[in-house]
Amino acid sequence: MTSAPSLDQLDPGGPAQRSNPIWSILRDFVGVVMVALGSLAVGLVMNRFSSGTLPIVYQTPEQRFDAELTTLVTTPPFKIAPAATVGLPEFRSAVETKSTLILDARPSVFFEQGHVPGALNLARDDFARDYRHLAPVLQPATDKPTIVYCSGGDCHDSRLVANALLSLGFSNVRVFTGGWEEWSKAGLPVSKGSGP
Amino acid sequence: MTARSGSFNDYAALALSLGLAAVFIYAGVEKMGDSLQFADTIAAFGILPVALISLLALSLPPFEIACGLLLLWPPTRRVGALAIALISVVFFSALLSALARGLTLDCGCFGIGAPSRPRMWVELGLNVAFLLGALYVYLRSIVGLQVRAP
Repeated sequence: MTSAPSLDQLDPGGPAQRSNPIWSILRDFVGVVMVALGSLAVGLVMNRFSSGTLPIVYQTPEQRFDAELTTLVTTPPFKIAPAATVGLPEFRSAVETKSTLILDARPSVFFEQGHVPGALNLARDDFARDYRHLAPVLQPATDKPTIVYCSGGDCHDSRLVANALLSLGFSNVRVFTGGWEEWSKAGLPVSKGSGP
Repeated sequence: MTARSGSFNDYAALALSLGLAAVFIYAGVEKMGDSLQFADTIAAFGILPVALISLLALSLPPFEIACGLLLLWPPTRRVGALAIALISVVFFSALLSALARGLTLDCGCFGIGAPSRPRMWVELGLNVAFLLGALYVYLRSIVGLQVRAP
């Protein structure tokens, strides 16, 4: 004759008691939710101290690259070695021989009103968009001599763009510190419109 | 006979627990290596709203590791098994949805790899196996809770 299982045979890990399976399953679901919340907390903390931080609001790879490019040109201007700047005679020679990539760091509205012939507009205030637009030209030219200019005088945009390009892997980037002001005052050729 | 089959089922549940624990701890560790890439993988499925993608990418790897660790300790084995069953259902659903929509993706289930439809089918099958194994462990633990052989 088989006897019914004793209470001691139920849940040997704790006090002898009857176990309602539905209640057990519900408790298990609560346990899963707690593990999930704990995992989220761990993930957020690890992300905070990670070198490759994931934005809490997801950004596509293109959006992340734009954000990185924008960051490159919003940091304070830092010094470029004296050898990394050029004067008007050398800049003019580079423009005339067309041996150098010339980049105008001014806003597009000023670029269109007048710019150095052959220059491309890589505006500091729209760097990410312009860089992506010019990528087919820029990315194969990272070893090509490159000179950046802006308005001249106290304008720092050319330095910011130049340093951003150096950060992106360009190896030969200099700044024409005289800028558009010096070029135009010298009565040198001018191009207009959005093209080079 | 009853005692012997009960013993076999116990060993089977233990073996499955250890196997699932190893798989999911490995999977979680692999995903933690590159959260950015894993988030891109989740986004590629086109299921979750943007606001939830990063949260899932950050929480899923530690969740998988936690589930694996829970499986290793008898008092927490049930919760670990249930959690693995649930995420297997989630993975299965996501993969099936992607396959039905004609997408070729990298599941990201075991680290980052090249997108491949054959691999998606394999991972679909693996998730079914994980689900069945986890359910066996879970249901076995509930049956074991209610009655034990004298």
